[in-house]
Amino acid sequence: MKRTWALALVTVVVFASVLSACVKSSQRVRALGDGLDARTIPLEYRADYELFAQRCSKCHSLSRPLDNGRIEDRFWAGYVERMRRQPGSGIAPEEVPSILRFLHFYSTEVAADVEAKSEPKEAK
Amino acid sequence: MTTSRWLVVAPLVALVMALFTAPAWAVDRNVAGSLQLDYHLSPERSTPVGSGPTFRGFTTEAALKLTAEISEQASVNFKVCVGCHGFETDMVHLDYRFADELNVRVGRFSPSFGAFNLRHDPANHRLSDKPLVYDMGRMLRVRDWNLGVLPSPFPDNGVEASGTHWFGSKTQLDYAAHLVSGFKGSTAGADLDFVQSRSGSLYYVDNNDQPAYGGRLALTERFSQNGDVTLGASLMRGAFDPGAKLTYTITGADLTLRIDRTNLRIEYLMRRQDLDVSDPTRYRYEVPAKGGDSFVKHGGYAELELPVTASLDLVGRFDALYRSGNVLVDSPLQARSGIFRYTLGTAYSLRRGLRLKYSTELWSFSDTGYAGRNEAVSMHFGVATAF
Repeated sequence: MKRTWALALVTVVVFASVLSACVKSSQRVRALGDGLDARTIPLEYRADYELFAQRCSKCHSLSRPLDNGRIEDRFWAGYVERMRRQPGSGIAPEEVPSILRFLHFYSTEVAADVEAKSEPKEAK
Repeated sequence: MTTSRWLVVAPLVALVMALFTAPAWAVDRNVAGSLQLDYHLSPERSTPVGSGPTFRGFTTEAALKLTAEISEQASVNFKVCVGCHGFETDMVHLDYRFADELNVRVGRFSPSFGAFNLRHDPANHRLSDKPLVYDMGRMLRVRDWNLGVLPSPFPDNGVEASGTHWFGSKTQLDYAAHLVSGFKGSTAGADLDFVQSRSGSLYYVDNNDQPAYGGRLALTERFSQNGDVTLGASLMRGAFDPGAKLTYTITGADLTLRIDRTNLRIEYLMRRQDLDVSDPTRYRYEVPAKGGDSFVKHGGYAELELPVTASLDLVGRFDALYRSGNVLVDSPLQARSGIFRYTLGTAYSLRRGLRLKYSTELWSFSDTGYAGRNEAVSMHFGVATAF
């Protein structure tokens, strides 16, 4: 009997862990190829991401901005302006707010991810 | 201080004052870099065994760049790179932006020319090597040909004024004009000396007092949300010998078509350059009394970059390089020599920022070369990362 209960407990814990992982991963944007899996980006930012990916991959790998690690809006405003002024960038001035909206969302995700990873260490 | 010295110093003082009296602005820095390791496999030997490097085998290209925004208008870029040539300074320059339509760049940088140079970093292109006209050392028979038309990058000391202007939201006009030291060569040189031109160990200073000049004009037209086309034209002209008597002129035209992530790129470059014919016995062919004191090296490429999946890209490229004109007595080239190269490659993203590259190249030469063949095959196995 004790063995059955133990087995049930383990099953529940494993199931809960898997479910929890699934729920958690569905909330996070996932990497795909050189960019992100657009399906894991909330609908309200998906068009912004598509624009960002289309314009920014014209000259360089998307890992440059996505793995940059910077999360400050002010930094991204300066960065995107610098890129917009590059010859043949194809980034029209009116497209900048959309790109910045995505970068703000992504930076917030990154910041949340870093915070989540650092929590257990702080608990120790 | 003489009046002429004041004319030089006064604008610099004004620029420094403008920079440091600008409204308070926290200096923002950004670091970026790239690394590529490539293995070039080719049975072709263009030189006798033991006579020098063959550029077969492993090559590494790495770069580290620091950008510091020192005010809303001013930024400084510092980039060093490591390649076959050891450490080089790819850029150290100050940008001062008066408006989108006017940016002034001073320092060491690659002047605006052509479409490829903006993507010359190996993390920014899908194949391991560069188009033949921009080749800086990976091409077969590199010594025979003395590289491509304009080996990229081509950092130089000088000043460039550039700008961009949007007409509505569909048309972008880019323009740039530069004044730089220019390429170098020796008095009796039969070609540009690219090592002397870029190597710090031979001093980053000009070998004559004549600056080189040039510029670029490009128009980008967007025809759909995810499609645009760019047409560009570029020029460089200068004197390369210490006496500033021998000149070179490089012209280029480019077309880039982008639909979604598919890119079609076509570029043509031509270099016309003087030969020192004061001693005609150095040349294989008779030097005519009129003309015959120059040669032309030109070529181009057409490249199609096609994403197959989010992680996999296919690339096809056709290169051509052609040289016409007199050659030194011991040159393996003829009065007219040419190369065709056909490349089929693929790039696979293992993860974001980490890419595996593979390509096969078929070479067709007009000359038989050291090994007595006109054809050659080579392969590139590369891994590149951007950070």
